[in-house]
Amino acid sequence: MISCNAFRANLRPGSSEPELLEHLRHCDACLDHAVGVDPDFLFRSIGGEELVPPGGVEAFTHDVMQQLHVRTTESRLAHRVLSWPRRLAVAATIAAGITGAAVVWQHEQHTFESLPPIAAATPKPVSHMAAAAPLTTKPVVETYDSKNATIVEVPSEGSNDVKVVMIFDDQLPADL
Amino acid sequence: MKTRMYMATLLILLCGAAFGNPPVEKEKSLSVRTFQFKYKDAEKAAAIIKPLMSAEGSMSMQGASNALVVTDHAENMKQIANALAQFDSAAQTFRLSVRLVAAGRGEPGARVPDDLKDVAPNLAMLRFTTFEKLGEAEFEGKEGDAGMLEMQTGYRADFHFGEYDPSSDSIKVSDLRVSRLTGAQRDQLTSLLKTTLNLKLGQTVILGAAKAPQSQRSLMIVVVARR
Repeated sequence: MISCNAFRANLRPGSSEPELLEHLRHCDACLDHAVGVDPDFLFRSIGGEELVPPGGVEAFTHDVMQQLHVRTTESRLAHRVLSWPRRLAVAATIAAGITGAAVVWQHEQHTFESLPPIAAATPKPVSHMAAAAPLTTKPVVETYDSKNATIVEVPSEGSNDVKVVMIFDDQLPADL
Repeated sequence: MKTRMYMATLLILLCGAAFGNPPVEKEKSLSVRTFQFKYKDAEKAAAIIKPLMSAEGSMSMQGASNALVVTDHAENMKQIANALAQFDSAAQTFRLSVRLVAAGRGEPGARVPDDLKDVAPNLAMLRFTTFEKLGEAEFEGKEGDAGMLEMQTGYRADFHFGEYDPSSDSIKVSDLRVSRLTGAQRDQLTSLLKTTLNLKLGQTVILGAAKAPQSQRSLMIVVVARR
């Protein structure tokens, strides 16, 4: 191996002489000096045809690929599982949205209720003879004088359709 | 972390409060109003407005002054006041038209008289196939008037016009008694049925009477009340 003085004298940016690289691998002081001249020397100091990782190249490659798979899987899972701050942010957004919608809805309800009725603004004279819109319905047959009778009110489709009510009473004469 | 959880809980509580009933301004107060009647009885007026009242509403009668004290929500009070204003009017005039039809379950295909074609489809639904008109009459009178309709076939109808009910737009026909002259000289009046009806104005009502559902003959009383 060449001396430190010889190394520093022959060192040039981009040098790849085997003697220089071999010195770099063994001398940390010259490595610092070489990185100051050319940062690429840091990487050149690592590689070399004669360097073999422990356990062999195949074992090293296998470990690297395994690490890659683990990192890939971790990154996928990290996208699906939300962190606590993100969950809180989503919950707060939803809650704020619901609250806002409810407040707007109630405000509109209140506005409609507080409007004066149209009829009050434009009063019309009500005639006693005018037909009123029916609000309730009454049974057609209010009373019937026989207690044993059966009264059947046939349902009709419309409120103004013909109404049919049948009274079955065994006290009625047969020749009605 | 605790602070964030407290904030989330507070937001959820705020949401709940927003959906809850707003406080006092939403509560509807009851109002009290006294109605005094000029033409009609307060007792009958009470029956008229009963279906219009809310569960919280109440009323009390003041017989001496023929008045009704009503307590209810403002929106119900408006309907009640309208109904009572129409109810407490001078006796109104109504017309009652009555047709008597003998309906039978004979051979199908019998000719339907022209003046019964309006009710024949309804009677056909009850499996009646033959129709014979027994008489027709019309009476005009005021609320409270007694009426009597006589048919040439010996049938007769006696009744009273009751009160007009504006809430159901109906007139009560009280004590409607349908009878028939019998005997060789047709001098005996036999009562067939007696009933009280609520007739919605303008609606045709067919009141059928028979001994049993499977009877071969029924008496159909077709009534319409109009103003």
